[in-house]
Amino acid sequence: MKHSVNRPTTPDEDVADAYEKDELTLRESINTKMVESGEKENLMELVRDRLVECGWKDEMRIACREHVKKKGRKDVTVDELIRVITPKGRASVPDSVKEELLNRIQNFIVSAAP
Amino acid sequence: MSARISFLKNPDPCNHLSDYKLRYGTDGYKSFQKLFRCFNDGRTKIKPQEIEIPRCSYCSVYHRRLYICLICRSISCSSHILSHTQSNKGHDIAIDVERSELYCCSCIDQVYDPEFDEVVVSKQLIGLCMSVKSGADVVAVRSNKKRRLDSQLIIGSKFLVSSRDRREKWSFPLGLRGLNNLGSTCFMNAVLQALVHAPPLRNFWLSGQHNRDLCPRRSMGLLCLPCDLDLIFSAMFSGDRTPYSPAHLLYSWWKHSTNLATYEQQDSHEFFISLLDCIHENEGKSKCLYKDHEECQCITHRAFSGLLRSDVTCSTCGSTSTTYDPFIDISLTLDSAKGLSPADCRKNRNSGEPSVNAPMPTLSGCLDFFTRPEKLGPDQKLNCQSCGEKRESSKQMSIRRLPLLLCLHVKRFEHSLTRKTSRKIDSYLQYPFRLNMSPYLSSSIIGKRFGNRIFAFDGEGEYDGSSSSSSSAEFEIFAVVTHSGMMASGHYVTYLRLKGLWYRCDDAWINEVEEEVVRGCECYMLFYAQERVIQKAHKELSYQVISMADAFPFADC
Repeated sequence: MKHSVNRPTTPDEDVADAYEKDELTLRESINTKMVESGEKENLMELVRDRLVECGWKDEMRIACREHVKKKGRKDVTVDELIRVITPKGRASVPDSVKEELLNRIQNFIVSAAP
Repeated sequence: MSARISFLKNPDPCNHLSDYKLRYGTDGYKSFQKLFRCFNDGRTKIKPQEIEIPRCSYCSVYHRRLYICLICRSISCSSHILSHTQSNKGHDIAIDVERSELYCCSCIDQVYDPEFDEVVVSKQLIGLCMSVKSGADVVAVRSNKKRRLDSQLIIGSKFLVSSRDRREKWSFPLGLRGLNNLGSTCFMNAVLQALVHAPPLRNFWLSGQHNRDLCPRRSMGLLCLPCDLDLIFSAMFSGDRTPYSPAHLLYSWWKHSTNLATYEQQDSHEFFISLLDCIHENEGKSKCLYKDHEECQCITHRAFSGLLRSDVTCSTCGSTSTTYDPFIDISLTLDSAKGLSPADCRKNRNSGEPSVNAPMPTLSGCLDFFTRPEKLGPDQKLNCQSCGEKRESSKQMSIRRLPLLLCLHVKRFEHSLTRKTSRKIDSYLQYPFRLNMSPYLSSSIIGKRFGNRIFAFDGEGEYDGSSSSSSSAEFEIFAVVTHSGMMASGHYVTYLRLKGLWYRCDDAWINEVEEEVVRGCECYMLFYAQERVIQKAHKELSYQVISMADAFPFADC
């Protein structure tokens, strides 16, 4: 599984939109299966826990606070914060978390395959 | 502190939200209540009926931030929400589907409305009540993990009734309320705070086992201290956070113990003993029927009463006579010269503490000292039964039965009869938050003394078997009464531990403190409870908790 670490970072939403049509339907059917089985909720919880454990959440909190401090408390919107923090956030997710998540997804797909 | 409070203040609603509320009130919010789906960790999502996976109605994308319009319930993604608002006039306010938070599409920002939050929270409460049976453990585990956040965001049922004082101490667990000083009465406030948060006492009064409206003594016009405590418990757990004046109780106590009815500062340990005595008198007479050897079943004795064993050994013939005495608390001598056993000195050196020269008195040192064999002096000769003469003898104390709540009193006030002076010992005493009492039980003390011979355990074995000794010897701290200042003019402050966090109760003022503050305090009375009591209380408290960590993500900044 080591090679997964060297994969390019998760594609942005806009890039994902440009994917082939059949690619999208595959993604979609996996997503549907995951939602139906409740695995998606489990994975979201897992990621949330891991990001708290590794300090990522604190890091993001600090980044948010710095931005709010810089801009002034009155002149910041949530949307703007999301726009500013998201690239930093995506880039700083530890590889180990990505790897674990990828493993879980792969296992799910294997077990859900007919 | 003030900066923090102003941050927690509800932001003003934007014009669009005000317009929406002017037109529709909160009915629109309530119509969404059916669609909220709550999770154990306090998050709430929106789950539109008959749709498994919500999608944007424009581009049918599902993995972006999605918003559901408050007016027409159509779902849009973050890039199409603006066009939805532009094409439909007045459709400004939407709800974030993943997080159940309000969003104003015209301001392009999150907006906040306490009334919307109330709708979400009431749904969470309903869900919590339904899931308590099946999901109780999950809730307990979750809230344990997030307890720091939870405890800052605890919202009792009061949240639903009014959101008036959410800013003011709204984060503290229910039951934390300051007590006004009625003129040098901090000795009383300190003890009351500890008693109010002692789980067995809290359960006794809050479950109405002494109801002041049904009390026969009160209806006869007599003073009744348990009734006054009932009043205090009701006041403390009412949800009101303004400091309370326990004047009734002070008055009753003065009447009960007239010799202490002065405006002077009293010793809080004396007050503790006298208060428990009064409760025992009032409670015991009405409830318990003494049989020969049965113990009193009043709440005082059920909670605090233990049994001490004292063995007096004749130093001439070696025969031992044993007596058992009930105790409510244990008074420990704090004297750094005598209080330390050599073992403790060694322990300190091994752990590499910098203060090797003046070894720090520890609680275990004090307990060792309390249970050491003590040679009685020539002036204290006792009549030995087997010799039939007065002989020199040695005495050793041990604990035959541990109470549910263990109160340890540190003798900081020393009265010398010969010199007719009093002084306060203000040296520091190190004490653990978890205390294992098994080394001080009769079984271990006697065992140590005689080796593991069976004859020595007369009657001790059956005790061990009956109450799984090792587990019930584990104690956890829940309150510390401290004394600072001089002998005559000091101040009492109580530290309370609720759900793993420490709170400082200084008369009317209550604030959260770090563990180090508590460890460094000048402890006077230590209140421990059996581990299982604390764990049970912890679980009971957890049920009241709703995690709002994700609903207010910036609340702890």
